Amino acid sequence: MTSGATIELAGVTKVYGGSGPAGVRALRGINLRFRPGQYVSIEGPSGCGKTTLLNLLGLIDTPTEGEVRWEGVNVADGSERERARFRLRSIGFVFQRFYLLPTLTVRENVELPLRPLIRGRAERRARAAQLLESVGLGARAGFYPSQLSGGEEQRVAIARALVNSPGLLLADEPTGELDSDNAGKVLDLLEALHRERQTTLIVVTHNPEVARRARRHLTLRDGRVESDVREEA
Amino acid sequence: MSERPPPGGRKPGSLPGLLAVVAMAAAITLPVVLLSVGGGVSSHEIARLQASGYQIVVSGPGTAGIDLAHQRVVQIGAIPGVGAVSPTLTMPIDLRGPGGRWVPLLAEGIIPSAYYATLGSTASQVFSAPPNLGDPTDMIHYQNGSYEGPVSPDVLINTTLAQDDHLTVGDSVTLAPAANDSGAVTYTVTGTFNVVSSLFSTSGNYGIFLPLSNLQVLTGLARTGPGAGTLLDAADSIHVGLTGTASTSPTQIDRVEAAIHALMPYYGVSTLSQEASQLEGAASILNGFYLVLSSVGLAIGFVFLTLVLVRRVEAERREIGIRRALGLPARSIAATIVARAVVLGGMGALLGVASGVVTVTLLARVGSAPVQAASRLALFEPMQLIALALGALALAGLASAVAVRRALRLPLPEALR
Repeated sequence: MTSGATIELAGVTKVYGGSGPAGVRALRGINLRFRPGQYVSIEGPSGCGKTTLLNLLGLIDTPTEGEVRWEGVNVADGSERERARFRLRSIGFVFQRFYLLPTLTVRENVELPLRPLIRGRAERRARAAQLLESVGLGARAGFYPSQLSGGEEQRVAIARALVNSPGLLLADEPTGELDSDNAGKVLDLLEALHRERQTTLIVVTHNPEVARRARRHLTLRDGRVESDVREEA
Repeated sequence: MSERPPPGGRKPGSLPGLLAVVAMAAAITLPVVLLSVGGGVSSHEIARLQASGYQIVVSGPGTAGIDLAHQRVVQIGAIPGVGAVSPTLTMPIDLRGPGGRWVPLLAEGIIPSAYYATLGSTASQVFSAPPNLGDPTDMIHYQNGSYEGPVSPDVLINTTLAQDDHLTVGDSVTLAPAANDSGAVTYTVTGTFNVVSSLFSTSGNYGIFLPLSNLQVLTGLARTGPGAGTLLDAADSIHVGLTGTASTSPTQIDRVEAAIHALMPYYGVSTLSQEASQLEGAASILNGFYLVLSSVGLAIGFVFLTLVLVRRVEAERREIGIRRALGLPARSIAATIVARAVVLGGMGALLGVASGVVTVTLLARVGSAPVQAASRLALFEPMQLIALALGALALAGLASAVAVRRALRLPLPEALR
């Protein structure tokens, strides 16, 4: 667990399809710094580089140039294995399409990131049960994802993202697949958990309602930071 | 309080997985059948050889390649340590019973007392005394020179033939070299014998015994008479039984073998242990051949399983991507794929072994007569079956390695797309 870390992107550029003229520059020289416990929204038109930025922050992808630093240490140049270990312990993901594993029950999905870290099944179960209670799905632990509504699936995904108590929670369009009622509930939940755990929360969204809840608003355009607005506490 | 989940949550079973199991099972079935039947027949032959009542065998080239058979009985019999010398001649002939039907048969010409002495322990299941075929030494009419005189046209027939053609002891039958009366001779049935598969295989169903000289006369392979020129008196092989310590001492057996060789330098003379080792060598070569043949099936099973696993990786690329995005170690992702491969390979191996056993059992019941006889001798060696199952698991492991490599090389952002 690396809660409370300062995260920086220093001169980050990401080019897809090679560095020649045919390459697509998704991000261009991004410099950003996220203080511990911030709630940040990233907005911008389609193709501006939002998801790429999120993937780089989450070490799912590596920058073509530049560094991704946690407490000043570049964590993006490690091996795939090192980055995976870092993701497991320090970063939680919430995806637009939930990405729960359909062959596992709700409890098993939440327990999944704990498997490499906690040997005791009882302890894993207890942690998963606690998280499921906190997202209001304690009674549905034995269900499969296909037996849940979209809102419930996303709440399970949030529980899974937080089960290892990560320092950074990344959410890519977390309400994109939900109706407004469920979207509101999910956002309330994310916000409450962010406040309660002091987790840095970075949300990519098109939805102004989602963005409105954040305290810092980044807007990207053509792979560059167009604006970076911080609300006063 | 937890709620009861509604039905139908899990994914349905996979048809390609089932097909992979079937492919592996088919690949394992072939070696199980080949090795069990081939090994069984070889073991049976070796056991039969070891249970023989003779230690040395003389063989001539081709059919009826040994001449002067009766004379050689006397010559070989004079070698110290030799207890019995039994020449045999096996020829196809035709038999006509009281019903008038011609039946093609395999006739075994023997010298009754010598034959009995060299039959060994399994012979007791067939004959309790030298076969009742008139002159036990088959020498009276032979010594007469022209095969005339007090001949004894006796024949023993097997019980299957006796039942099929309603023949009993005392009946007259006609034997001829071909299915017509040309050269036909009337014989008297002096006894019947049970067909013991361990001794005669299926050819026993079509077998009869008669004195060696009678069969020689019937098939034109007799001695033509003093001064007549050609001296046939043919046989296929001569079995030589030893007595006392000569029968067990390798040195003495070799000594007698050398003495026989000196008498008959143009014939093959080999000891039973040489025969057994030749048979074992042939069995090993055949087993190797069976394994090579089976490897084709196993290769197909392997390719199929690999394709199924790679296809599953492709189909589950997002799930694999999710696991990797969550930070699960590569080994846990690999373990999932390997476990799946081992389950499919293991199920295929178990099904294949079971299917092989069932196939052999069915062949022993519904195959053609030779196939039935061979299948009944099948030996299912546990170590061999375990080795085959482990081989299937090793192939599954290899197949999973290809799939794991594929899974771990998926670009993560693409896998999550």
